[in-house]
Amino acid sequence: MSRLAPSNPCQDRTFGAQGAVVPQEPLPLAQGRADALYVHVPFCDHRCGYCNFAVWVGSKELEPALNRAWEQEARWTLPGRLTTVYFGGGTPSRLSLPAMERLLKLVHQHFDLVPECEWTVEANPQDVTPQWLELLREHGVTRISLGAQSFLPQKLQALDRRHQVEHIWRAVELVQQAGLVLSLDLIFAAPGESLAQWVQDLHCAIRTGAEHFSVYGLTIERGTRFWSLRRRGLLQEVPEELQAQMYETTLDHLAQAGWQHYEVSNFARPGFQCQHNLKYWHAKDYHAWGPGAARHYQGIRQTNHPSTTTYLKRVLGGRSPVWHSERLSWETRRREALVLGLRTTAGVHPEEFAARWGATPQELAPQALENFLRQGLLTWHQGRLRLTRRGLLVSDSIWGELLDEEG
Amino acid sequence: MSQPIELIRNFCIIAHVDHGKSTLADRILLATGAISEREFREQFLDDLELERQRGITIKARAVTLHWDYQGQRYELNLIDTPGHVDFHYEVSRSLACCEGALLLVDAFQGVEAQTVANTYAALEQDLTIIPVINKIDLKHARVEEVLQEVEQSLGLDPSEAILCSAKTGQGVSEVLQAVVERIPPPQGDPQAALQAMIFDSHYDTYRGAITYVRVVNGRIRRRQRVRLLKAGTVHEVQELGCFTPAPTPKEELHAGQVGYLICNIKSLSEVHIGDTVSTADAGPELALPGYQPPKRMVYCGLYPADGEDYQELRDALERLSINDPSFEFVPETSDALGFGFRCGFLGLLHMEIIQQRLEQEAQLDLVQTAPTVTYEVLTRDGRVHRITNPQQMPDPGQIQEVRQPMVRVSFVLPAEYIGPIMKLCTQRRGRFVRTEYLSPTRAIVVVDMPLAEVIYDLYDRLKSITHGYGTMDYELLGYEPADLVKLDILVGGKRVDALSVICHREDAYRRGKAIVGKLKQEIDRHLFDVVIQAAIGSRVIARETIPAIRKNVTAKCYGGDITRKRKLWAKQREGKKRMKSIGQVDIPQRAFLAVLDAGAQKRK
Ligand SMILES: Nc1nc2c(ncn2[C@@H]2O[C@H](COP(=O)(O)OP(=O)(O)O)[C@@H](O)[C@H]2O)c(=O)[nH]1
Ligand code: SF4
Ligand SMILES: [Mg+2]
Repeated sequence: MSRLAPSNPCQDRTFGAQGAVVPQEPLPLAQGRADALYVHVPFCDHRCGYCNFAVWVGSKELEPALNRAWEQEARWTLPGRLTTVYFGGGTPSRLSLPAMERLLKLVHQHFDLVPECEWTVEANPQDVTPQWLELLREHGVTRISLGAQSFLPQKLQALDRRHQVEHIWRAVELVQQAGLVLSLDLIFAAPGESLAQWVQDLHCAIRTGAEHFSVYGLTIERGTRFWSLRRRGLLQEVPEELQAQMYETTLDHLAQAGWQHYEVSNFARPGFQCQHNLKYWHAKDYHAWGPGAARHYQGIRQTNHPSTTTYLKRVLGGRSPVWHSERLSWETRRREALVLGLRTTAGVHPEEFAARWGATPQELAPQALENFLRQGLLTWHQGRLRLTRRGLLVSDSIWGELLDEEG
Repeated sequence: MSQPIELIRNFCIIAHVDHGKSTLADRILLATGAISEREFREQFLDDLELERQRGITIKARAVTLHWDYQGQRYELNLIDTPGHVDFHYEVSRSLACCEGALLLVDAFQGVEAQTVANTYAALEQDLTIIPVINKIDLKHARVEEVLQEVEQSLGLDPSEAILCSAKTGQGVSEVLQAVVERIPPPQGDPQAALQAMIFDSHYDTYRGAITYVRVVNGRIRRRQRVRLLKAGTVHEVQELGCFTPAPTPKEELHAGQVGYLICNIKSLSEVHIGDTVSTADAGPELALPGYQPPKRMVYCGLYPADGEDYQELRDALERLSINDPSFEFVPETSDALGFGFRCGFLGLLHMEIIQQRLEQEAQLDLVQTAPTVTYEVLTRDGRVHRITNPQQMPDPGQIQEVRQPMVRVSFVLPAEYIGPIMKLCTQRRGRFVRTEYLSPTRAIVVVDMPLAEVIYDLYDRLKSITHGYGTMDYELLGYEPADLVKLDILVGGKRVDALSVICHREDAYRRGKAIVGKLKQEIDRHLFDVVIQAAIGSRVIARETIPAIRKNVTAKCYGGDITRKRKLWAKQREGKKRMKSIGQVDIPQRAFLAVLDAGAQKRK
């Protein structure tokens, strides 16, 4: 246990408490074993109009504090073997090279990584440089997830993104030269976008030859600038029917070009599915560090405080950064597992599911399953239960019934 | 020591709402020393919170006052009458206890619909009417014009009017003087057989029924055994007396006097307004004229929003009906709404009052179905059925004739709105009776029309057409045959019983379209198309489709999103649970008011 004792945070001048810190018992973070690690890097150069993530816009003065906070969280985390690591954000590529190196080293110091460990780092196209890629590669990073969003200049503008199309192409080339797996994030249904434009955009993306795509329909969430623009009538959402067509077009075109659809928003060349993200959908356990990051151990899920400064104050003051904590009941866990499993196109195998969760989906939600099967929203395919395409399109209207069914 | 009958005056105040009835009554209490200055500051006669909020007096009360005038001590009985048309019968019984009425008219508002209706009711009872123009302290008082309106519309002599301000007290002693000088003393023989009329009652948790009476003939003593002729029950008078305004027990009440009786009666349902109290051995020939059983003209279904509150709702309804026998309820079931009650009311306002009390006192969340009037249906077998719920409507094949209640509506409004109101009344199947000018700028329009049209949305339409300046009142005329049909609403092919309405055949298309359109707004989209239809029998006359959800999918669901998303999905499901499911379609509770809203808002 000695390795897990909190360090003395007094060295920190910005955020530390004065005087000695009394070690806390129990530890500030839930404890559990996991073979996956997520690290949240909150920095962004500006906040995009549709973004409600935990981000820190502005100066990088907080970098040293953040490095120390991750190190502190590491001390509160059980060491072990990792098969996947994911640096997300925010924008991890905004970290300076020294700060990134310190973080990469921290992961190696605290954990053992299996040789074939999948290690993803998210990046903004304009941040990708050969030196940066070299640093990541040296430390075992295998995969770059590029926030490309679109290959059309007006659309990038409509999306309130700061990078140029050329940045994307250059970054793609550099990543591929570095021999790293490439994933691109794409957005459809930007304000004013037509179906033809989306098809054009999609074909640019296909031409990159990236191994993996994450494709998101733009959603306007509470607390974003787009939300208030829409409320004031200054921003029009793409009509639902067009959104549906764009989504279906995505499914068709990417499948035709050789990318398998494996989760609601994710597509991969065979063998390139994101192993880390699959752990979320397979209800596995994962460690997490950084503001707003969520960890999960056997039904205990904790989310760190999303405000970067609050997170730092707490961690560096020796206090728990946990903002929300929940202990899921067995019933909630298995229903959640069913929903997450059905978000993957592989769906759920009833016996495999029952082996882990003590009941088949049919036993868990007989009435709802029967209704959805009859309505053609769910189907049996090679012994597995999965969404039909129509079901996929309206899946959010299905989950509630599976999460809570009376009898 | 009993009060000589010639020194008694029984009177009431009649007025349109807010013209100052309660304030003047309190002023009179103050002037006669019945209450102190401090007590005056609280409105004394309206004791229910609800009444105060709405500025109307629902329960009639009687106060006995003493006033010394020209060397004589007069007994003044002030009987507070309910002002609203729903309580028309109760008003008529209260008026029957008086010899005179103060007709109170606001010096700014002038004559309004209830002013007219109440004056006619008082004239029908042969009361002496003293016009009183109130609120003359107002800067914008238009006394001359209002006097002219009083003359024009009511045929009263404006030179007899007293000008007063209930607020400042100016003119109040002139009012009292006029009561004594102009209103005749009651007639009646204290030696004759006992006849006392019940004009009101209320329930006291400790004492049981408190019965308000006016002794017409004879006398009534403590410990006497009396018979309620209509109810046919015999009771011993445990206490009697009058309110001054505190209850003051007495040994006897005699002809001409007004007071209360306490007879250990456990339920108000035994105390009928208009019934006669007489001696224990009295026969039916002693019954005073004018008794009528309560006429419930408006019915609606009341259901607990949460089915688990059924018992609570029942208890609450029981409590209310103890205090208000004119309100009635019987259990009813609906496919759509589950277990609830069919409730009968004297009118729309009565319905609203009961509903508000339920919500305030019992804190119950209620689903109310559209109100309907009471129809009479003559079937081919020659029987007449009273229909208080569209569900009870017999098969069209069996129906010989459907009759509906008709009312005479009087509108008082600025003359410029006569045209639009006439147009509205024509649309609502009104038959024009007459127009009278109160003054060059204000008029009374009298129209006969179906009560169903009145309760549908007439009041709201009047208010909106006249920008709030119009008022209305109505009286029941009787039943008339009409071409009425039952309009059914089908959701997803299933008939939703709680949404059926009875309407005129010619209106069915308009109503059906409006309801179906409203439901389309209220019902969320589903995973399949939801068809909403309005039908008469098997013939569909209006139809809307709520298209299925096309796309509803969360793009991102990674580690940090899962909790939030799961809660969101579960919450949506929770919301659905509170809806009523018809087949596979979830119908929110407010949709059941769509039938109302399709016309307009509820009456306010
Ligand atoms: N200025 C003025 N206001 C009055 C007078 N009499 C009553 N009011 C006000 O008119 C409103 C309605 O009075 P109220 O006695 O409740 O009327 P009711 O509905 O007829 O019982 C209240 O706000 C009173 O204060 C008056 O003589 N002058
Ligand atoms: S770059 Fe990504 S995380 Fe940063 S503000 Fe934009 S959308 Fe949000
Ligand atoms: Mg009042």
